[in-house]
Amino acid sequence: MAALTLATATTGAAAQNHAHAPPPATPPAGAALHLGASATGLLTRAAPALADRTLTEGYLTQPVLTAAATLAGGRLSATGMLNLEGLTLQRGELTAGIWGEGYVDRRHPHTYLHELVLSGRTPVAGGSASLSVGRGFAPFGTDDPMARPFIKFPLNHHLAQLPERVLASAAWARGPVVAEAGIFTGAEPRSPEDVGGLDGFGRSWAARLTALPRPGLELQVSTARVAADQRIRGIALDHRKYSASARAEVPLAGGSAYGLVEWARTSEHEEGRRVYTFESVLGEAALRRGAWGGALRLERSTRPEEERLSDPFRTPYPHADAHLVGVTRWVVVSGRAEHRRGVGPLRATPFVEASWQTVAELTGSIYDPVEQYGRAEQWHLSVGLTLGAGMRHVRMGRYGAARSSGHEQTP
Amino acid sequence: MTARRSAGPLLLALILAVATACEDDPVAPIDDDEEELPVSAPLPVVGHGQVPERYTAEVAIHGSWAYTSSWSNRGGNPGNKVVVWNIAGDEPVATDSLIVPFASTTGDVQVSDDGQLLMVATERTGGSVMLYDLQANAARPPLITRYNSEATNPGVHTAKFGRVGGTLYAFLSIDPLNTFPEPVAAALVILDLSDPANPVEVLVRTMGQPFVHDVFVRDGILFTALWDAGLTLWDIGGGELGGTPADPVELGNVLTEGGNVHNVWWYHDALTGQKRYAFVGEEEVGGSIGFSSGGDLHVVDVSDMANPVEVAFYHVPGAGAHNFDLDEENGVLYAAFYNGGVRALDVRGDLSACSAQQRAADGRCNLTLMEREAGVGLSDVSPVAVWGVQHRGTRVWASDMVSGLYVLDVSTLQR
Repeated sequence: MAALTLATATTGAAAQNHAHAPPPATPPAGAALHLGASATGLLTRAAPALADRTLTEGYLTQPVLTAAATLAGGRLSATGMLNLEGLTLQRGELTAGIWGEGYVDRRHPHTYLHELVLSGRTPVAGGSASLSVGRGFAPFGTDDPMARPFIKFPLNHHLAQLPERVLASAAWARGPVVAEAGIFTGAEPRSPEDVGGLDGFGRSWAARLTALPRPGLELQVSTARVAADQRIRGIALDHRKYSASARAEVPLAGGSAYGLVEWARTSEHEEGRRVYTFESVLGEAALRRGAWGGALRLERSTRPEEERLSDPFRTPYPHADAHLVGVTRWVVVSGRAEHRRGVGPLRATPFVEASWQTVAELTGSIYDPVEQYGRAEQWHLSVGLTLGAGMRHVRMGRYGAARSSGHEQTP
Repeated sequence: MTARRSAGPLLLALILAVATACEDDPVAPIDDDEEELPVSAPLPVVGHGQVPERYTAEVAIHGSWAYTSSWSNRGGNPGNKVVVWNIAGDEPVATDSLIVPFASTTGDVQVSDDGQLLMVATERTGGSVMLYDLQANAARPPLITRYNSEATNPGVHTAKFGRVGGTLYAFLSIDPLNTFPEPVAAALVILDLSDPANPVEVLVRTMGQPFVHDVFVRDGILFTALWDAGLTLWDIGGGELGGTPADPVELGNVLTEGGNVHNVWWYHDALTGQKRYAFVGEEEVGGSIGFSSGGDLHVVDVSDMANPVEVAFYHVPGAGAHNFDLDEENGVLYAAFYNGGVRALDVRGDLSACSAQQRAADGRCNLTLMEREAGVGLSDVSPVAVWGVQHRGTRVWASDMVSGLYVLDVSTLQR
């Protein structure tokens, strides 16, 4: 039986109740198409943002259209997300310690085609196996921050996930074990319009092993080799990536509790010689009771400090020269409180987020963070309202047999 | 004077020099009585001009004036400033500055051979060169023109003057730019500066792997530092292949050990007339400015320009080569070595003649083991990140990214 769901109302109680269970060996019968949309209006105050200057800015962040479909009794499935940040977030979003794709201290906009992956799944050897192709997440690391409690990304996004790649991946799940491997394109996007293409396809690979020892508990280790982007006109380096995490989600009376602890490391290599290593440890927890929710995140991550452009929130990509200005370690403590409610067919979630962060240079280089920011410590305060309708991704980054039953939340 | 090298190589050099002189070569024999330079002598600091608010980049000298450019962004201050220094005394005195609009980095600065022009390269998007009139006022040089074109737009990383057939040209190494959907490749742009107020673009040529980083021009020969594509020599009027600045013709290429060819200097020994060596700076990928860097100085024998060959190298553990200046009267190369400070090398004579103990496994001579390191400056300063050096007489001015402009006494390195 086919089902079509469009923008159906939900209540606040429908949040994050997606305890992770092993994927069923036999997909459910029938077909379904679920659609959804959401966006967040956000006001952020960063003190200081740069050179002892406080900035207050407003954004429409994470405006997305989402879709998930199953066909042929669930043997075929598709998941997709259009991300419109290229229209709303071109200057980037003030975010503590964030970096990547030519942005620094502001999160870059994602590509319009954030995810579109087709999967075929079949029972194999007492389990379920799948092949997935499309553009999305390589089988590495943890869930995309968009599917986690905070609106503000952690600064380890480029260490702990590999999004927006053209990929082909295989997954096999049996009992409490899920194994994945995939090949993909190494290139990071250069623009929101960049849909990738097949340049360098197959030169990068990733593998992830996940164990589900008990309901709600997920342990993963993964590694990836990301080949230098051959399209890059400049110094491009190979990346060797490692990730380990433990994730728990359990229902509580009238709500749920969620926790994630992750470690990630990326080392950058030139012709086999390691030149830089960046590392992250992150822990986050969220508690939901009725319409109210709260979350806490602690992160300790390192990042490169690079030459800055006339816009001091941008860096050349890549460098014309060979050195970093330095390597900094950031410690970021973030908190969030929210209240979810249904407004007609919409989910409405007003929230407040705050973070305190401190930064130190690690290598003894000429870079002085106090000189850069004006103070040794910084505060970010954000208030916002997320509106959504229809289905939404509550997990992001796994496909086919590697997906749990809780990846999409449908009304 | 410190006695150092064994007599064997010197004698060999002398015999070779005499032999080549007998073949009507203009290279003069090395003076038997010429004083040798010390080994690794400390080069004392005699002056220090402070620039605390920006990262200092390159330095250029003109008479009693020095000009230092700036890089990136320090504490909210972009690298859009060129500081003008009075260097009549040992202590540099910042007397004025040039603010370059639109620039995030003014990475390269140079004075023309006739002392008329000051050229400043600007990065990034909106890249250009600024030409200032030193003849009119060296203390506050007025802007003649800002040259910018579609070809220079990604950013001018380095800019060098070069005179060919009496005409002054500017050689601009253009940054690559990873625009979408098509990236812009790095290129060499050459400007005819016959009328400095109206530069004429005579060449735009894509080159380098992944970019062209710097050039050196002398006697109608263009040397291009092409990173992993090595060092390429071009006839632009001084060779026999009919090349011109508008149409350079390749003479030869050499892939130096380690690649990452960053800068080059073709050495003409004022005493011997020898033009055998080009010195190549390698900038190794990795490191953290002011703390660690890597990359050797490579000696390339360009006697046969069609087949240049690397014959020697100089390595500083934990530090990497950056820009050079040559005291060709005394045969001393001064090299910026970032956190390794300033290194002075005795480059007179045969750098390819060394004992088995002074030779690396690949056959190249090791200048350190040959005791060619004549002086070391700023090795006791930390943090320090020396970007560029300029030599005049008994002084070397070293631009330090961290603190500004040092002045070193190199009177011990006069022969």
